[in-house]
Amino acid sequence: MTKKRTISIILGIMCFALTFGIFVQVRTIKSTDSTISQNQEANDLRDEILRYKERYDNRFKELEEAEKELETQREEATQNDSALKEAQEKITTGNKITGMTEVTGPGVTITLTDGKGIATSTLNPSELIVHDLDVLSVINELINAGAEAISINEQRWVLTTAISCRGNTIDINGERIGAPFTIKAIGLPEYLAGLERIGGYLEYMKQDGVGVNLEKSNNITIPKYSGVINFEYLKNVEE
Amino acid sequence: MIFIAILIGCILGAILGLNAPMISYTYSSYLAIAIIAALDSVFGGIASVIKKNFDLKIFVSGFFGNAILAILLTILGQKLNVDIYLAAIVVFVWRMFMNLGAIRRYYVEKWTDMIKNKATKEKKEENKEKVNEKS
Repeated sequence: MTKKRTISIILGIMCFALTFGIFVQVRTIKSTDSTISQNQEANDLRDEILRYKERYDNRFKELEEAEKELETQREEATQNDSALKEAQEKITTGNKITGMTEVTGPGVTITLTDGKGIATSTLNPSELIVHDLDVLSVINELINAGAEAISINEQRWVLTTAISCRGNTIDINGERIGAPFTIKAIGLPEYLAGLERIGGYLEYMKQDGVGVNLEKSNNITIPKYSGVINFEYLKNVEE
Repeated sequence: MIFIAILIGCILGAILGLNAPMISYTYSSYLAIAIIAALDSVFGGIASVIKKNFDLKIFVSGFFGNAILAILLTILGQKLNVDIYLAAIVVFVWRMFMNLGAIRRYYVEKWTDMIKNKATKEKKEENKEKVNEKS
């Protein structure tokens, strides 16, 4: 009897290990969203990309941790010195303005999706697509309405941000971004919602058949700029 | 008893596997080869039960040993830049098919025997009845 019991326990443990492994593996592969192709070369390339992406994510996490560490160290160092404390506060406000920290506040979320109309039924199919200039115009109007921080698909709009066309995607902060575009802006929601006024750019896009959606919210979080701003030629004028 | 243990193990594994944190993509290839090795051991175990030379110690050591060996070979292959895991997959799947073949043959033979036995029994009975009628 005892022998049978040990056998059944061991077999149970083995079945547990096997099914556990299979389920974890299936979920992992599902999350990477990779389909197995019959082409060995394509498989290898995809494998490599996924590996590099993972490494990049890990490095990014390390960087974030290091930045947090720097912040705490700074706070500790400036705890007892009022002059240093002032400088520290200056740095935090400066970072908030230049986009080096995550910020939150009231504002609006604008979603721009490519028009669903049939391309041949309109005179100009290009009108149905959200272009880089459309995004740029919307951002211009947002800044005009007093937006204090803007992000496009989680890419923070900073001093050095440029938007350019890259075929069927657009390039923001050196990252390729495709439709639909989610533009988040922090500012007075009533002012920012004024973008929907008749004669505004959003109205114009709607007439073209582009999907436009504007939502007010009291709680919008805009991520920080992940790159580095490096000015080489800028100098203060000495008086 | 054994079947209940297997069922409980499978269900527990499925539930925990669904809720466990995902492993990183780099290690998923190791886990995949370990799963293949373990599956091979399972089929080997069933085949050995049919051949009546099943040994629990060999089965368990094969189950975990093969999986660990396959993972180590895969790591070695990546260090040497040779796809050793391909060889491991070929061997394991080959053995899986061999064992499946053995299992299949056993059951097909059993079935044919059963059908034959039934047929002969019926014939015998018919013959008996005929003999009875004659007498």
